Amino acid sequence: MGYGMVIDQQLCVGCAACTIACKAENNTPVGFNWCDKITSTQGTFPNVRYEYISTMCNHCENAPCVLACPTQAMYKDKQTGLTLHNPNKCIGCKACMVNCPYGVIKFNWDTPHPDWREANRLAEGVFSPREMVAEVGGDGSPTSNPERDSTYPSLRQRGTVEKCTFCDHRLAQNLEPACVEACPSGARQFGDIDDPNSAVSRLVKLHGGQGLRAELGTKPRVIYIRDYRPTRRVAPARPENKG
Amino acid sequence: MNSNVTLKDFMTPVWGLIVLGLIIGGGVGLYEMFGSHILATTQVVVFTTPLVVYIWLALASTGISLLLAYGLLAGNGLIQRYTRYLLVLDIAVLLGGFAALATELGSLLNMIYILLSPNPLSPIWWMGTFYSIKLTLLFVKLALDLMGKHGPLDRPLAWATMVVAAGAAMTIGAVFGTMIARPDYQGAFASILLVTLAPASGVALIVLLRRSAELADWLIPVARQLAGLIAVMLLLQWIYEARATTVGLIGWVNPLMLVLFAAAALAGGIASRISAALVMIGSFWVLYGFIITGQLVVQGPMQGWYGAVTSFAPNLAEIAILVLGVSVAAAVYHLGRLFLLEGEGATPSHG
Repeated sequence: MGYGMVIDQQLCVGCAACTIACKAENNTPVGFNWCDKITSTQGTFPNVRYEYISTMCNHCENAPCVLACPTQAMYKDKQTGLTLHNPNKCIGCKACMVNCPYGVIKFNWDTPHPDWREANRLAEGVFSPREMVAEVGGDGSPTSNPERDSTYPSLRQRGTVEKCTFCDHRLAQNLEPACVEACPSGARQFGDIDDPNSAVSRLVKLHGGQGLRAELGTKPRVIYIRDYRPTRRVAPARPENKG
Repeated sequence: MNSNVTLKDFMTPVWGLIVLGLIIGGGVGLYEMFGSHILATTQVVVFTTPLVVYIWLALASTGISLLLAYGLLAGNGLIQRYTRYLLVLDIAVLLGGFAALATELGSLLNMIYILLSPNPLSPIWWMGTFYSIKLTLLFVKLALDLMGKHGPLDRPLAWATMVVAAGAAMTIGAVFGTMIARPDYQGAFASILLVTLAPASGVALIVLLRRSAELADWLIPVARQLAGLIAVMLLLQWIYEARATTVGLIGWVNPLMLVLFAAAALAGGIASRISAALVMIGSFWVLYGFIITGQLVVQGPMQGWYGAVTSFAPNLAEIAILVLGVSVAAAVYHLGRLFLLEGEGATPSHG
């Protein structure tokens, strides 16, 4: 079993709901996102094409970050195929960041959410940021998600890296990643990509597609299918179940 | 051990500079580690001056180790006469490098997992392991030398030092050379360059400090040849970069680097200390150019934040880490000189 994601570029509208949902679910600080985007512009005016490519950790089978990590803080989960991070073992050498071909690993130079540690009140009678966090019982920020803590700290340590975990805490409860659930157009599909009969595998079989920078041999588990063609008749993203 | 050291021995301009460097560099380092982030790093340029300083000093230390090992294995009486001095210098320079590295690592206390949760596939793991073993070997050799115990352990220790030192330099290169997504880093050239820079900078440092005129003069031709070799290697790399059509390759060799090493090779006879200084400056510049340039091409979605190609310049805090590394090395060296090397001349260890 190995989780993977298929992103249908025909259906993606570039709304960034995935980015915001991930930010809310995983309490990422101002300054970086686990789920981000590449904006690709091609051609010469007036024949210009613009593409929005949602990106996150590709949970590569041959993950360069796992190979580079000296303490196995970055590791492959054998049961799920995910590339996960153990901050308790992380020495903050940032080798994973420089080895990653996708630029999806970030480093906490300071403890995340420094603005929410501000003790000064903006005006009399209002909460200071620190008081607001304490009042709602937040972890680093008032909008932190306590469910995130079940498998990975909601507030990460200063001096360690962090990256997308495919919402492993949600997967443990048979829920889909937050970005998949948030997508309004159904562009993101998630499942066991090692199972040839899964919905994601059938999508790849139907439309082809490949991961980012496939020539590097990382074997990413995020596969992009199709590209946006306004004249294309929109086909269902999900293949019809046949029994 | 010299027991005649007094406070007066520390009332010198050199010690004044060292203390000032330790205060400035140490203050910045401690603030970076325990206060707030003040270095010039970003989310896309993460290996900066602290790492450059560590590698620069670690390579010089490696070069001294190789010289020490060669001296014993080849039966070179001149090098063997200055074993204790070279050991003190070697240890001092390596500790200076470690001090700089400590400010670069985010979670120093988690270093225990290098032992508890090792990853033998990681070049950084091998680099850390080799340098830890090297430091241990140096302390063992120094202890044996201080106790006057020379015998059957000397040759095995020398062989171990040579293998570990060479391995350490090559694995630093492998940290960069194994990166698949960084064309400026990738390949065996990084390891070859660094294992050549190591003896070049180590020998240059000995010539520069010139504690023993006899040893320094003997090493000048060696230093010149190594500087010339580095110049040739840089020329080759420059030519390959100029011809390259690899997507994402920027090229890090500056022709002035070549000029620096060529000048060092040519000037070595008449101005040996200037030549040695040029090698030390050149090796820092080469490492800085190599390490920074390889990160300037921004990967993936970070291009939306930093552009397709970013830029970098060190700030004062990063320069303070350079001061820290050099100050720690100088402090340990001068402490060793005062307590372990008797008198102002180099002390024969055995022979």
